[in-house]
Amino acid sequence: MNKTRADDTPLYREVEHTGDFGIEVTAPTRSELFRRAALALAALLVDPSHVEGTKPHIVDITAADDIDLMHDLLTELLQLFAADGFIWRDAAVEEHGPKLHVILHGEFFDPSRRTSRGEIKAVTYHQLTVEKTSNEWRARVIFDV
Amino acid sequence: MLLFSVLRVDSASTMQLIRRSDCLWEIPQSGAMRVPGRIYASARMMDEMRSDPCLTQVANVACLPGIVGYSLAMPDIHLGYGFPIGGVAAVDAEHGVISPGGVGYDINCGVRLARTGLQSDFVEPRIERLADALFSKIPAGLGSEGAIPGLSSQQIKLVAYEGAEWALHNGYATQQDLEHTEEGGRLAGADPERISERAYKRGSKQLGTLGSGNHFLEVSRIDHIYDARLASALGLHPGHVTVLIHSGSRGLGHQTCDDYLKLIVSAVGRYDLKVPDRQLAAVPINSPEGKAYLAAMAAAANFAWCNRQLMMHLAQQAFLEALAITPRELGFALVYDVCHNIAKFEQHDLDGRKRRVCVHRKGATRAYGPGNPALPEALRPFGQPVLIPGDMGRYSFVLIGLEAAMRETFGSSCHGAGRRMSRSAAKKVARGRDLFAELKALGVTVRAHSRGGVAEEMPEAYKDVAEVVEVMEAAGVTKRIARLRPLAVIKG
Repeated sequence: MNKTRADDTPLYREVEHTGDFGIEVTAPTRSELFRRAALALAALLVDPSHVEGTKPHIVDITAADDIDLMHDLLTELLQLFAADGFIWRDAAVEEHGPKLHVILHGEFFDPSRRTSRGEIKAVTYHQLTVEKTSNEWRARVIFDV
Repeated sequence: MLLFSVLRVDSASTMQLIRRSDCLWEIPQSGAMRVPGRIYASARMMDEMRSDPCLTQVANVACLPGIVGYSLAMPDIHLGYGFPIGGVAAVDAEHGVISPGGVGYDINCGVRLARTGLQSDFVEPRIERLADALFSKIPAGLGSEGAIPGLSSQQIKLVAYEGAEWALHNGYATQQDLEHTEEGGRLAGADPERISERAYKRGSKQLGTLGSGNHFLEVSRIDHIYDARLASALGLHPGHVTVLIHSGSRGLGHQTCDDYLKLIVSAVGRYDLKVPDRQLAAVPINSPEGKAYLAAMAAAANFAWCNRQLMMHLAQQAFLEALAITPRELGFALVYDVCHNIAKFEQHDLDGRKRRVCVHRKGATRAYGPGNPALPEALRPFGQPVLIPGDMGRYSFVLIGLEAAMRETFGSSCHGAGRRMSRSAAKKVARGRDLFAELKALGVTVRAHSRGGVAEEMPEAYKDVAEVVEVMEAAGVTKRIARLRPLAVIKG
């Protein structure tokens, strides 16, 4: 089980998927759900203990609903890593109606340090859920690996 | 969201299935389905998948506007995104739709097989040295960069336009290599300008790299010949060593699919199209979005063919250096290269007349029969080679397309074994085990950048590919020519 740095709460739970890889994230609030999903993605890509969190990077995402927000946010972050080589150690999420303003802290990934955990091709819409239950927010995301 | 929920398709557990033969099952057309679904599977396979949602995906695909014939699934079927893996769907070329989900994120993921003139008893005593050379020469794994550094953005765009022809023009391929590659290694209609800058950024350093996950390079020996005449026609001889490469369009293709899935999901509403699953989002082939996607897909496919060609070139160099032999002694030659994630315009007989259709193959391989003009002259009398990788511990197969494939499956066959265990389950099962030693005891030398990756890809995680190819043979679609046993596997 993977933990947040701050409070030892598990970042995500692995979800069974035959061909690829899925996670379920829970959080007490909506903004924290998106934050944990962002951190979970980073942890899937690179061992977070090897990431320095000094450089800031802003990501703004606007979408019609929470499903698209989650998909588009994680896709943007995946592309940030895959295309630009930026990996984040921490994130703060601000909600502004249909928009998320995400402030990342991280660094540019150095593959020679060999701390990568695996390649993720894409964030899929398959079984993608973002929902509020009686006492928490929950999201499920399947990644194409 | 409403657009994707108005169509109801029976869930797999309540779905009616009619057995048409020992290895063919049919989902009758009902509700929103425009055609029936057909699944190639043994009775044992169908017992296992009877309640699996992949069958619902076959039915969902049957709802696509313009679909003709059947929504098909090969015996390596498993759950995909929108389309099942192992899915084949042909749509009318003028009035049908194109769905990026019917191609997949890894555009032109595919396999190529090269033969050598080397006997396995020469290579096996030297396998560790050869494996080290291949591992060193062929970039693999996350963060790896191509062995051709410093390519400008213009050159990468040329790769996307020319495909394997770029490799020919730059000294990494022979004319025979191109003739033995599906579509000559270059799909017409490619427009490099339809690929985003982000896709180029993501993929440009990855030209000539293997990737990770289920991608691999395998050195094998031919351990069984099923048809001596056809094997000889392909240059395959008992005991000889071969090289199998499984890879695709890398980050360039993944990003391209992502870009166009987003575009098409937002465009669906403009065309009054209704599909039961967001990942099946589609637009008319002749719409601006459809044409743009097809042009981008072709460009990404060309990148993948060049990618596999470059890796084969590097593999050949590794053999020459590690074994200290001459090119003549090596006798290296490409048998064939197939893609198994693609959409192509083809002519097929339907209801007694020739019809131009767009065939989506998502985890399925083209398998043209003898005499097809699309095949190179040297192979035309025999049929198209179909390359089916198994897991890294057992075997892979070389098949050949039969005439019945054109009648039954739009000239398509299976593509691999299919997983039976999730990645997380495989890692749990592998805990505490030395998989490298276990595989070595089976005669397989493994070199990998990620031990976790090897655990996820362990042989037990996969179904037996022999059963898959047997079903295709029983159906008369393809027949086995040769079986390959792994000697060394390189993974990302």
